[in-house]
Amino acid sequence: MKLKIDGIICEGREGETLMEVAKRHGIHIPSLCYRKGFEGLARCRLCLVEVKEGSRRRIVSSCVYPIKENIEVTVTTDEIQRMRKNIIMLLLLKAPNNSYINKLAEEYKVAAPERYMNPLDDENCILCGLCVKACEKMGTNAISFVNRGIYKKVSTPYDDASKDCIGCGACAEVCPTNAILVEDNEGKRKIWNREFNMVKCSLCGSYFATEEAYKLMQEKLNDNEEPICNECRKKIAADKLKESFANIY
Amino acid sequence: MSKGIIISPDKCTGCRTCELACSFMKHDNFNPKDAAISVLAFDEVGLQVPMTCLQCDDPHCVAVCPVNALEKDENTGVVNHDREKCIGCKMCVSACPFGNMTYSSRLKQVIKCDECGGDPQCVKLCPSGAIVYKELDSSMERRRNIASCFKEAFGEVIR
Repeated sequence: MKLKIDGIICEGREGETLMEVAKRHGIHIPSLCYRKGFEGLARCRLCLVEVKEGSRRRIVSSCVYPIKENIEVTVTTDEIQRMRKNIIMLLLLKAPNNSYINKLAEEYKVAAPERYMNPLDDENCILCGLCVKACEKMGTNAISFVNRGIYKKVSTPYDDASKDCIGCGACAEVCPTNAILVEDNEGKRKIWNREFNMVKCSLCGSYFATEEAYKLMQEKLNDNEEPICNECRKKIAADKLKESFANIY
Repeated sequence: MSKGIIISPDKCTGCRTCELACSFMKHDNFNPKDAAISVLAFDEVGLQVPMTCLQCDDPHCVAVCPVNALEKDENTGVVNHDREKCIGCKMCVSACPFGNMTYSSRLKQVIKCDECGGDPQCVKLCPSGAIVYKELDSSMERRRNIASCFKEAFGEVIR
């Protein structure tokens, strides 16, 4: 299937989204909630593009728009730029003190109207849902969106410590605004209102993963060995290699 | 046939140029912690052992990855890590039997050797030839290259 993005002729397969095709051809479309390997979420809406199909023009979210034959796509027009600025302004009101959103606002030269700004607001989450998706991919499904409207947020059921959570921290890693707090402290990890015990390396005694995450890894590999951290494993492997060479002399 | 990085600890002088080359090539800085290769020193026998990903035949990291960010390329034999797909769960870091995967919280990414897509910079800059990049043509040769008892010690997981 052939289509044009910003004048560049791109090749795509049926069922692919505009974002996927653009990424593959090295065309940048701004976005916060798109991640390769994930289905498009269409939450941040920064990936708006203009699609021209015959004589019809429309504005679509490129991360969920399935490509069609012979469409002409423009990533940035004046109208889209105005829309993106509006979206960023709203994001800025949602997370006024977040450094990532502020950087984005600076880049797009956006300032939010002061009368709606709460300088003490410490909200960082923009409700993009990447963390929920990452948790789903892990197979844990510990977090999801809860409540509606202005009370909407990402949390565990009833904000309780979830028994499904394994404390891997993937949610915090994928977060575009660094909104999820992971506290590691002397063998304990605190995340999503739950405290996890960390696994201690049986050789050096350093803590390297939560017990639950380590157990999941062992289940996947059918492995029942004593926990050893990656540094110590490397040392053991190097030691074996050393032995084989030391014996030569 | 596929090529691979072959380690000869007897030739390594411990200069750690490989670590710096890797870090600079991949992350534009000179921080050995960001390198996918590291040299371990065994002073009592006077040996230095460079350790890097062995691109296993049956990689544990690939088996545990929940999002298929790690994939074994059948043509080159390299286990590739797709940074964009990775969600940072660090399963692979604890799964690697040789500890050759590390996670940098500063860079927010997994650090893994990809043989620089067929042109490993560490090999290019190694002054003593302790790491070389060459054809691994037969299983016999592989066995000789990666010391034989190393193979026995770890079983079939090694390429």
